[in-house]
Amino acid sequence: MKIRKFMAMMVAAIAITVGMSSCGSDDDDQEAAVAAQVAGAFNGHEVLTVSAGGSTSDFTRDTAYVFTKATDTTLDLTIPAMDDMGHMSIPALSVKGISLTTDGKTINGTLDSYAGTALTADSVEKAFTVTDLVVVFSDKAAVVTYTLKYGNMPFPFAGQFTGVKE
Amino acid sequence: MVFAMLAIGVSAQGVRDSVELEQVVVTASHSPKALKDAPVVTRLITLHDIKMADATNIQDLLTQEIPGLEFGFAMGQETSLNMSGFGGNAVLFLIDGERMAGETLNNMDYTRMNMDNVGRIEIVKGASSALYGSNAVGGVVNIISRENIEPWTANVNSRYSDFGHEWRHGATFSFNTKKWNSQTSFQHTRIEPVDLPKPHSAMEIALERMKQAQGLPYDSSVFIDDSNLSRLFGQKTYNVKERLTWRATDHLTLTGRGSYFFRTSERDTYDYHFNGYSAGVKGKYAWNYDRRLEVSYAYDQYDKANFTPDGKRTHDHDYSNRQHVVHALYSQAFGKNSLIVGADYMHDYLSTYQFIDNANHTQNNIDGFVQFDWNITDRLNVVGSMRYDYFSASKQKAYTERFALVYKLPWATLRANYASGFRAPTLKEMYMHFDMGNMGYMILGNPNLKPEKSNNYNIAIERTKRINNGGLLDGRYNFTLVGYCNRFDKRITTIDGGLYNGMESAVYWNEDGITVWGLDASMCHVWDCGLSLKLNYAWMHETGHIIDSQFDQPRTHSMTWHLGYGHRFSCHYALDASLSARHQGKPQSGRKDVDQGYTIWKLMLQHHIWRGISLNTAVDNLLDYKPKTYYYSSPLTTGRSVSIGLSVDLDRML
Repeated sequence: MKIRKFMAMMVAAIAITVGMSSCGSDDDDQEAAVAAQVAGAFNGHEVLTVSAGGSTSDFTRDTAYVFTKATDTTLDLTIPAMDDMGHMSIPALSVKGISLTTDGKTINGTLDSYAGTALTADSVEKAFTVTDLVVVFSDKAAVVTYTLKYGNMPFPFAGQFTGVKE
Repeated sequence: MVFAMLAIGVSAQGVRDSVELEQVVVTASHSPKALKDAPVVTRLITLHDIKMADATNIQDLLTQEIPGLEFGFAMGQETSLNMSGFGGNAVLFLIDGERMAGETLNNMDYTRMNMDNVGRIEIVKGASSALYGSNAVGGVVNIISRENIEPWTANVNSRYSDFGHEWRHGATFSFNTKKWNSQTSFQHTRIEPVDLPKPHSAMEIALERMKQAQGLPYDSSVFIDDSNLSRLFGQKTYNVKERLTWRATDHLTLTGRGSYFFRTSERDTYDYHFNGYSAGVKGKYAWNYDRRLEVSYAYDQYDKANFTPDGKRTHDHDYSNRQHVVHALYSQAFGKNSLIVGADYMHDYLSTYQFIDNANHTQNNIDGFVQFDWNITDRLNVVGSMRYDYFSASKQKAYTERFALVYKLPWATLRANYASGFRAPTLKEMYMHFDMGNMGYMILGNPNLKPEKSNNYNIAIERTKRINNGGLLDGRYNFTLVGYCNRFDKRITTIDGGLYNGMESAVYWNEDGITVWGLDASMCHVWDCGLSLKLNYAWMHETGHIIDSQFDQPRTHSMTWHLGYGHRFSCHYALDASLSARHQGKPQSGRKDVDQGYTIWKLMLQHHIWRGISLNTAVDNLLDYKPKTYYYSSPLTTGRSVSIGLSVDLDRML
């Protein structure tokens, strides 16, 4: 056995998508302040995928991603803590400065790279980066994709979240 | 282009004899011998080859020069070597005959081996433990420093490549008097992170995910991406070296050397810092031409640590490997025959976060060896070597031997060679206790490991001839064909260790071995008109307990070829041109989910302008090959790239 089995013991969660809310508007004034239109908590389903040694493991769960308005055209995102990952846990991660643009019926957010730190449950500071983050808001739904590198983990997570606004 | 070059005509500066059979080499016999007399086929990369390749480090150079040799990535983007089926820990790298400390995932830090001030590189494939001890299982690469004989030399150089916006700056200085010889070199490199192309953008993927979430028709093919790598980390290196030689008397020469190396790899989360410190003294005493003694002491230290982006050391990834080596070598000639007797003592210290509580472990290695070089006739030469090694930590011993036979026919030279090799279990493999990435997956050492063993058999035929009949082929050619079989046993690898404290684990273990069969063919022709052509082909086939790794994918067929031309147009301008390529065939494993082979071409033009000024221009990946997917074993290219460099020999200018 080699690395390919290193995640075999990790648990998987079942997910459902709940909640609905409204976002977006035809109002020109609100168009300028897109962040306010989409800010809020989205309940949904998260999949974190890690590939190593030729095999792929998925960590899935139901959770809520919270977007908060930073400026009229930028959002911050809080990725909730991940506690059900076998022997590993990741505290809540705050990702700042997602730039928003409108494209037809969708509001799209992008963030090339964000480097931050987070405190673990035993108060150890861990560095993390989120790269290639994209969020698409359409009607009440949101889709988020990103790459997460946490601490000294040798492999990155490919993160994906699909949810609807509360 | 070839015909244009031929039309230019005359032999010129810049064309070097690639058929360097009079060149002295040392690696194959522990003593100086002409290449044509070396007991084992030795692949020589000359100073001219190094200059023409304009390589920054050993990795760049070997990739261009040696078929069947490939660098890829291991975990964490640490560089990983594969040479004809052997990994980085089975190939011994030496600098002026001295081994280096430290490893990153079973490989040396190849960026330590920069090409500034390197005079030549000797490569002996196959086992050489009877001469060099542990790790010389699959081959030895010996990087030998340049030894300037001019009163003084000084060079400054700089190069820019648009791949990663890489800058390289170097400077060398040397002086030479009757008593003293000094060589000083400095090199700095800087490469920005490189984002590797992806088949679909993150936005395209997110939009299709949105369609999927909304129950609309969507294109699932955009979700498929088999890439192992998406971004190459940026890094900086600094490398400073000094070597001072004092010819105390006609009989005694003392050499002192020191070097410092620093590399920072700018990772996603933390910056990895690597430090290398090396120092040594060597004394050579020659009673006469036939009787010599060499005694040396060498120290090498390799450290790793993680730092936060704001420069704070985390102390959770500290690593330090320190080696002290004392070496003695006595040689005595008896007419045409010679005897070499030697011994080494090495103290190895390793402290790493991969041990319990960052503990440290040490071990001592002592060895003794003897070699007799017997020239039975002018045509027949037999070299026999034997060596004994003892390792204190594992209490393991190893006997290795080599018998080489050289027979010179009027039209060719025949060689036959048997050599055994071994690799002692490292302190890491014996004592590791590491939760990989704090993910609940333990990797455990095994103090009961046995040394890896290899037995190498090879036969070779070599023909060199000068053609001088006024025809188109006037010049010199060399043809070498080597067939080999390398039986590799007790290979140390990790296997399933079951549950350990509730966690999955892997444990280091001696596994059954493999047999590597291979054929290396090389041909070189250097025309008097300045044109040169080199072809190298390697075939290999593994049988036995093959461990299929996505990090290394040995290729059955691989080739390099090189067409060069040099011409001095006037006293103020000369040109060296080369068109080279390397081809790596499909992986021997037959796997379809890794890189399926590629060919990469490189065009290099070196303009030698007025008094030591050289302008180097290169187009790498000339035909713009782009991997569809970036696997660990894919060539690290995003397509065609160009570089331009300037080198100034101040001594010639002034």
